[in-house]
Amino acid sequence: MQTAFKNIRRSPYQALSAIFVVSITMFIVAMFALVSVASQEILLTFETKPQIIAYLKDGHTPDQVNELLTQLSTTQGVKKAIYISKQDALELYKESVGNDPMLLGTVTDWGIVTADILPASVEITAQTPKSFNSISSVLERSEIVSTTPQGKKEIDFPQDVVAELTKWTNAIRVAGLIMVAALTLVSILTIVIIISMKISGRKLEITTLKLLGARNFYIIKPYIQESFLYGVSGALIGWLTAYIALLYSTPFLSPRIGTIITFPVPFIIMLILLGGMLTFSAALALVSGFFASTRFVKRSK
Amino acid sequence: MIDFSHVTKTFPTGEVVLDDVSFTVNPGEFVCITGKSGVGKTTLGRLLIRDLSPTKGTVKIDGEDLALMKTRDIPRLRRKIGFVFQDYKIILDKTVAENITYALEIAGYDSKKIPARIDQLLHLVDIPGKGDLFPSQLSGGELQRASIARAIAADPPILFADEPTGNLDKETSLEIFNLLKKINEAGTTVIMATHDVTIINFHHARHIHLEKGKIAFDRENIKSQNVEEEVKEQPSPKDDEVKIIHKKRKIKKIKK
Repeated sequence: MQTAFKNIRRSPYQALSAIFVVSITMFIVAMFALVSVASQEILLTFETKPQIIAYLKDGHTPDQVNELLTQLSTTQGVKKAIYISKQDALELYKESVGNDPMLLGTVTDWGIVTADILPASVEITAQTPKSFNSISSVLERSEIVSTTPQGKKEIDFPQDVVAELTKWTNAIRVAGLIMVAALTLVSILTIVIIISMKISGRKLEITTLKLLGARNFYIIKPYIQESFLYGVSGALIGWLTAYIALLYSTPFLSPRIGTIITFPVPFIIMLILLGGMLTFSAALALVSGFFASTRFVKRSK
Repeated sequence: MIDFSHVTKTFPTGEVVLDDVSFTVNPGEFVCITGKSGVGKTTLGRLLIRDLSPTKGTVKIDGEDLALMKTRDIPRLRRKIGFVFQDYKIILDKTVAENITYALEIAGYDSKKIPARIDQLLHLVDIPGKGDLFPSQLSGGELQRASIARAIAADPPILFADEPTGNLDKETSLEIFNLLKKINEAGTTVIMATHDVTIINFHHARHIHLEKGKIAFDRENIKSQNVEEEVKEQPSPKDDEVKIIHKKRKIKKIKK
């Protein structure tokens, strides 16, 4: 390791450029990982919510509701269909607004919010977005589903939001993976080029060591250690930068997605991320260092 | 035992450097190989460490045919042979101690014992306290001594010194020669390749002379009584003067 440190000290600018490139890669990896986890959490939150809600007319009978639920349960692609009565709706509303007196209507002219002003509904979870059309046609035919003044059935389709989110999440994943792959390649090439340059500058030394009876591993060891140091330093700097960026953006993110993701992000999550990044960058650096040095040493006598 | 048997070495250019050369070197021997530049002395050394392979014939060390040796076993062979290179091959940006450390590490020397061993070696080659100096801070003779120290660092059973006195003045050459003798007396087989016959002609040593890639003669020299004085007095002879020097020595002996 001493030799590796000496090599770095002797050509600090090469070392800096290698560490810089690896750091950028690792920063992007960290951000990509955080965004991926966050988007997955957001997606999960939306997916676990009912995907289709049909509001029912007042005065419907339990038999009519049962008939509709039976129809839905026999429809292909329906995962779950449940009836939400006016009373259930009120409970859900209270749950969602908490004890806010404004929203509960206790201090407004409207008076206290009661179950009567909330509609009963049927909440349906579809197995796949493809089954949405068949579910929709069942609801359209039902007489107990309420109708808007324009004559349209009152059906909410949060499915659209999920589909949009899924689309964006996938796009982020693909773009992130492409970016990480490209930067990983750039990092590997940078390390390979720097190590190769260093080795070719020490051609005479390597030849002498071989003539003295040194095994290939003895010769390449300091170079592999050097690239390992680049990898580890890059991972640490990248992680630290990502963590600082995350902490600074917490006041912005917290009010927006704070109900879905815990802010500040728990340190243990960041430590797990660091572990992953160290492993990834160390592997990347070791492969690059090994490739560059072995290629050269094998060629020399 | 080192055994060169009918060794021929032809380079890709077609130049025949060694032509049917055969000789054996027994353990503990001191052998001087002489001849003009380009006669194949260095090639013999390179064959010995499998830096080259013979075109014809065999080179064996302790019965092991080097040409049949697997590539992965070459480092093991090279660790058995200390090599003093004609151009020293001292790594310029490393100190003397670091250069010697390389040889010791390669031989698998215990890292804790390395500093003490370096001290011992520097005393042996008579450059004590110069371990922390860089090669550029050393004189030619000191550089050669450092090179020898590195070659014998791991106590190899064989030492091949390629022109160890090549660029040195007569006095320093003699000191280096005596150092090699001292190493030989400690039990190491020493092969010294040189074009400078002045020193070896006055010492008791086996003398193999090469001419045009062939062995011209292989004989024992008998040590002269007043070697050091004679060497200092002698002008550096050209290769064709070797025979004249021999004649003079014979005459002196007869007179005595």
